[in-house]
Amino acid sequence: MRNRHRKAGDELRVSVTRSDAAAADEFTVPRIRPMMVLDALLAIQRTHDPAIGFRYSCRVGMCGTCTVRVDGRSVLACQTEIPERAEHIRIDPLAGLPVVRDLVVDTAPFWQAWKSITPYLVPDEDAAGMDATPAVIKPDSAERERIDPSLDCIGCAACFSSCGIASARRDFIGPAALNRAMVLVADSRDTAAAHRLDVVATDSGVDRCHYIYGCSAACPKGLDPAQAIRRLRKWRFDESR
Amino acid sequence: MSPGEAWPEPETISTDVAVVGSGGAGLMCVLHALSARPDLNVTIVSEGAVGRSGCTRMVQGGYNAVLNPDDSVDLHFRDTLQGGKFLNDQRLAWTLVNDAPRVINELETRVGCFFDRDEDGRIHQKAFAGQAFDRTVHRGDLTGIEIMGRLRDQMFRLEPVELEDVRALDLVHDRVGRLAGLTAIDMRSGRPLVLRARVIVVATGGSATMYRVAAPAREKTGDGVAMCWRAGLAVRDMEMLQFHPTGLLAGDARMTGAVLEEGLRGAGAKLFNADGERYMARYDAERMERSTRDVVARAGYSEIVAGRGTPDGGVLIDISHLGAEEVERRFPGMVQRTRQIGQDLARAPVRVSPTAHFHMGGVLIDADCRTALDGLLVAGEDAGGTHGANRLGGNGVAESTVFGARAGDTAAAIAPHRPLLEPEPAEVRASLERAYAPLGRDAGPWPFPLTTRLKELMWQCVGVVRDAEGLAEASKELDVLAEDVDRIAVPGPPEVNFGWQEAMDLANQVTVARTIAHAAAWRTETRGAHARSDYPDSDSRLRYVVQRRGAADGPVSAIETEVRDVEFSYRAPDGDST
Ligand SMILES: Cc1cc2nc3c(=O)[nH]c(=O)nc-3n(C[C@H](O)[C@H](O)[C@H](O)COP(=O)(O)OP(=O)(O)OC[C@H]3O[C@@H](n4cnc5c(N)ncnc54)[C@H](O)[C@@H]3O)c2cc1C
Ligand code: FES
Repeated sequence: MRNRHRKAGDELRVSVTRSDAAAADEFTVPRIRPMMVLDALLAIQRTHDPAIGFRYSCRVGMCGTCTVRVDGRSVLACQTEIPERAEHIRIDPLAGLPVVRDLVVDTAPFWQAWKSITPYLVPDEDAAGMDATPAVIKPDSAERERIDPSLDCIGCAACFSSCGIASARRDFIGPAALNRAMVLVADSRDTAAAHRLDVVATDSGVDRCHYIYGCSAACPKGLDPAQAIRRLRKWRFDESR
Repeated sequence: MSPGEAWPEPETISTDVAVVGSGGAGLMCVLHALSARPDLNVTIVSEGAVGRSGCTRMVQGGYNAVLNPDDSVDLHFRDTLQGGKFLNDQRLAWTLVNDAPRVINELETRVGCFFDRDEDGRIHQKAFAGQAFDRTVHRGDLTGIEIMGRLRDQMFRLEPVELEDVRALDLVHDRVGRLAGLTAIDMRSGRPLVLRARVIVVATGGSATMYRVAAPAREKTGDGVAMCWRAGLAVRDMEMLQFHPTGLLAGDARMTGAVLEEGLRGAGAKLFNADGERYMARYDAERMERSTRDVVARAGYSEIVAGRGTPDGGVLIDISHLGAEEVERRFPGMVQRTRQIGQDLARAPVRVSPTAHFHMGGVLIDADCRTALDGLLVAGEDAGGTHGANRLGGNGVAESTVFGARAGDTAAAIAPHRPLLEPEPAEVRASLERAYAPLGRDAGPWPFPLTTRLKELMWQCVGVVRDAEGLAEASKELDVLAEDVDRIAVPGPPEVNFGWQEAMDLANQVTVARTIAHAAAWRTETRGAHARSDYPDSDSRLRYVVQRRGAADGPVSAIETEVRDVEFSYRAPDGDST
């Protein structure tokens, strides 16, 4: 391309960690407004390297598959606006998960941890199925006031990546899975609370957390996994919940 | 790699039931198949992340089901047919409304979803456009996360085989033409797979991404329908592509096209043109903004085309009169979405455009999701007929979960009686040859400009309002595009190469686009989502066109058609039950 004169703010430089050491890792893309990190990645794909590896699906913060680290912070690429004044950003894959290629990671360890807390409702068998009646639970009940603000986890693993303990793979179930455990333990429709509390009390459970609060700061849905962990710690010893 | 081949020897896997797609239809199918027959081997093939790709995940507004004793399935049925302009396959629509309440029960009591409650603790149902009763079940304004999150959790209980990041390519037959399995590519390794299966369920979620302004998730590129088309299956209602009236405009950002949910209009949002006129009064004075999607989308489009739109080609939606606090409380997800792009739904009007949203057309199925090919089931948005000419908001996720569940029941019933067959090697080879071709070519166009061409062409000529001239132009251009797509070259390795994915997406999109343009040219009337400026009236005789692939091979195969009269098996258009 001809070396056109551009005024500052017309372009953005993007550094991307690549798996192949020989692949280009610095790109210049045109600045659009508004512009999310995902838009920068798409511009690289469309104009520089069709094979650059990154993931996305919904582009509206619902699927949780586009998570990357931008200048060190674990965020959703599709929901993170590039600051007006930024001239350069750096994009790395999530921490603590094996890289498949470029920015695409294998989320298996995250889901392994999720699975370990029995993440599905364990209902009373007589009260479950197509002919069972949904439970009557008031929206202002203590139970729902605990659960509702903690419910919209999209499994993006931003908390996992931002947690120094989970991402160092030091045998920690991690914030998202513990948050899910808290939600189910608090749910009166569930019958497996005792089992889950045993799991979270093991060595890889709540006691690994050092309360740095990285998880709650990172959650793109505004959930508070650190609070969930505190609750679980308390509930371990308190049958009255 | 075997000598002279562009791909390594495919790995062969065998399974009882292969489920292609992991949206609402795919995962409900797994739930039902494994609940009915825990001994079955069920394999999910999913191009995107399991339970976290596709549009069920993106459902905002909610799910229509009759739960209130003052409501009735008859009423839901009538709304669905009226919304569909009576083009619906009534057996499918009837199945939808009858099963939806039972599936809601199952989602709540078995799957573990928790939908919003009324003060008295029972499930809250909100108003949605085009319906005579408030029957839309929801979780805030981001319902899909709850449904798909919990269905994903069920997979940890049921433990099907999960082939994540694996893209299905083609259905393959045995030597005598019986369904034997499918070809696929593991997108992480770039290696081919052959999956032998007794039963295959196709649930890849339709193709509405092929427009300049479009709402759906990345993966929804008509793969399932194109796959069935190549296998010779019949499709119907392909011209019926729904535009949601209120898609966001965010310039060149990928957020453009993202939907502002229908509940806003249900809650009293008003639509204005750039002149400040509440224009719905000229299109549907009685229902105004609460009119059905087809009417509201066309109205917005007409305003924009008539020069009464905003400079970036939109109209304005305004709900700020409810007060910022109320809007934030009721529609937090939507408010956040607009703030993301520098606007604010809670405080000011927001610029919107019609956005391609949902494909009513699809593969012909019966109420148990069976197709004309023994062993092949289709469920969810890939199937056609349930919604007729226009889908009601809230009937989409109902369709995917209801028919996904039925496909699972059917699969469990028939899998034990179908043998595992041997895929014909020539078919496997032809499929892989097509898939790997873009990687093997030294020179040729990249896929991206061709995708842009397709989206622009469909938007201009096969969009919200159509005419004979534009459709003829589109048919011609699509044939040229099909040839160009056949020349795409993608650099880079086969591992995690989304440029290569897009090349494969595009081939399927063009295949489906050709059938849409063709069916749209056939329907010389205006009905539901299909508006013809040269034929503004609706015919009194209700017919639909069934299309099948003709004999010719290659990218521009012939299209065979058969015109059928709509059967009014339950209710005739004048309102009398039959
Ligand atoms: C933004 C948005 C909002 C919506 N809101 C509502 C609403 O409020 N209410 C409502 O009723 N309906 C709504 N809908 C419609 C609803 O989402 C769909 O009707 C329905 O959920 C589709 O479900 P599905 O299972 O058929 O497909 P999807 O849920 O779209 O799933 C498709 C699956 O197929 C996979 N796939 C695609 N191609 C391949 C391939 N080649 N190989 C393997 N896997 C593949 C994908 O990865 C994905 O897992 C909305 C749609 C959109 C786009
Ligand atoms: S693409 Fe779905 S959350 Fe970002």
